[in-house]
Amino acid sequence: MSALVAARNVSKHYGNVKAVDNVNFEIQPGRIMGLIGPNGAGKTTLLKALLGLTDCDGELSVLGLDPFRQRKELMKNISFIADVAVLPRWIRVKQLLDFIERTHPNFSRDRAEQLLRQTKVSAGAKVRELSKGMVTQLHLSIIIAIDARLLVLDEPTLGLDIIFRKEFYSNILNDYFDGEKTILVTTHQVEEIENILTDIMFINDGKIVLDQQMEDLPQNFVELMASGENAEAARRFKPIFERESFGKRIMTFEGVARDELKKLGEVRTPAVADLFVAKVKGAVA
Amino acid sequence: MINTQIALMRREIWEHRAIYLTPLVIGLLVLLGSLTGSFSVGTNVEVANLAVLVASNIGEGARTTAVLGILASAIPLFFFAMLVLGAFYALDALYAERKDRSILFWRSLPVTDAETVISKLLMAVIVIPLVTVVVIAVTQIGVMIITSGLIAFRNGSPWELLWKPAPLLDLWFVQAWFFVAFSLWMAPIAGWFLFVSGFVKRSPLLMAFLPLAIIPLMEHLLFRTDYFWEAVAKRVYSMPVFKMDNDWTNLESMFDDPAALQSFTESFKLLAIFDFKGFLLSPGLYVGLVVCGLFVAAAIYVRRYRDDS
Repeated sequence: MSALVAARNVSKHYGNVKAVDNVNFEIQPGRIMGLIGPNGAGKTTLLKALLGLTDCDGELSVLGLDPFRQRKELMKNISFIADVAVLPRWIRVKQLLDFIERTHPNFSRDRAEQLLRQTKVSAGAKVRELSKGMVTQLHLSIIIAIDARLLVLDEPTLGLDIIFRKEFYSNILNDYFDGEKTILVTTHQVEEIENILTDIMFINDGKIVLDQQMEDLPQNFVELMASGENAEAARRFKPIFERESFGKRIMTFEGVARDELKKLGEVRTPAVADLFVAKVKGAVA
Repeated sequence: MINTQIALMRREIWEHRAIYLTPLVIGLLVLLGSLTGSFSVGTNVEVANLAVLVASNIGEGARTTAVLGILASAIPLFFFAMLVLGAFYALDALYAERKDRSILFWRSLPVTDAETVISKLLMAVIVIPLVTVVVIAVTQIGVMIITSGLIAFRNGSPWELLWKPAPLLDLWFVQAWFFVAFSLWMAPIAGWFLFVSGFVKRSPLLMAFLPLAIIPLMEHLLFRTDYFWEAVAKRVYSMPVFKMDNDWTNLESMFDDPAALQSFTESFKLLAIFDFKGFLLSPGLYVGLVVCGLFVAAAIYVRRYRDDS
């Protein structure tokens, strides 16, 4: 099956600043890809390029289309939450559904209304009268009701409390995702989504520093907790990153056999957040 | 395509309720004013008041003119409201969505930037004038109903004195023509406002008017010429919509001469004062539309390429 998203040598400059620097990657259909990066790493710029919101250099194909030049066509099959709180505040829920129904060929109003009935969002309310969590529920109901092949979420749960955040992802998994659809998500709260991701991509300084399937992580990355001499011995395997916790050294290794390290201490697969820190900080050191 | 435009324009009306609320409020005020039996808005007090209307000694033509005077007297109010409304609408149209970042949501739907910007242009140049014209027509019916009561109260026949001589269809046609023609004539300004609204980072109102002050000033200081100012000012006051060879153009001097006024009101023909063909054939109209098109293209370009969200 051909890739849903394919980027070849994609770059985006703002003046002299390279926001995205010669990036190559693919996203296959049916995957849930997490795009992780610190602020200013180029995440948002890359997403904007994918969504046709900004022009870029290189070859970029999303659903076989050029996103910038064929944005209208593309938007029939993509839905996205670019950020929280971008729904117009003056509009009424009913008007919003009306408008999308008239402009979006793949939108099911019945489905959206059915989803909204499970929330406290009422059809006559204006967006400005809703709480932040309710606005997100509204936006989520809309995008789930769009039969899109690709869903792009950029920090969709920023500023929401924990209950809304948990609900948000479980709704997406239960109501939207069906194995044929594809999700691309960025978030700071990676620990909340790492169990639903199938693929992961790290971006730093405009470059992709990691692009892997989640199931390959245990094979490629090992975290070792060791102390004293063992820690010294482990350093020979060239950890990509090292930190200290409760008096023990915690080292992250890439491409080192787990069995070798087992002899030196406790080993485990690093959490995505820790791995991210290791890849990004390790590259600096 | 058509459906998308309709959806887009409906959205504009939802967002900018002033488009219909402003003329409605003015209509209500006019109706309240007409309850007192005085319609002294505008300059034509002498030809348009209740006393003239119920006088039995005037000719048919003069009576029609008097009725027209009553019905037309509130038009300037609506007209100036429309100007202000249109200007503020156009300056807000592509600015508010960037300010509240809802542009990110709008652009997540399968609607092109061109469709969106064009819908906003059509609102400013066609829909706002038409809404105003419809409210004016409804107000005029209201004024006639109230005036009928006042005439009946003075033992006159509303039908004979008011409804029969009222050239409503002519009036409504001319009103629609004038409001839309004026808006088309002003389309380059609307296009400029839309562009500014899509382009500036802040204060679209200031940014729209600043060049209108700075450019003529610089031109005057540097070249001692005033071409820019003349072009803009001429646009505003010299719309070729009226026939210029009619004696009605001397209306003011006529008020000092009762005989001339009487002959004028008796022979006045509404449709005759408009130069429909002259307007449609005037190069100024098309030059203006081209200029408007350039500004709108620039506004589309900016909405598409700028990413400052």
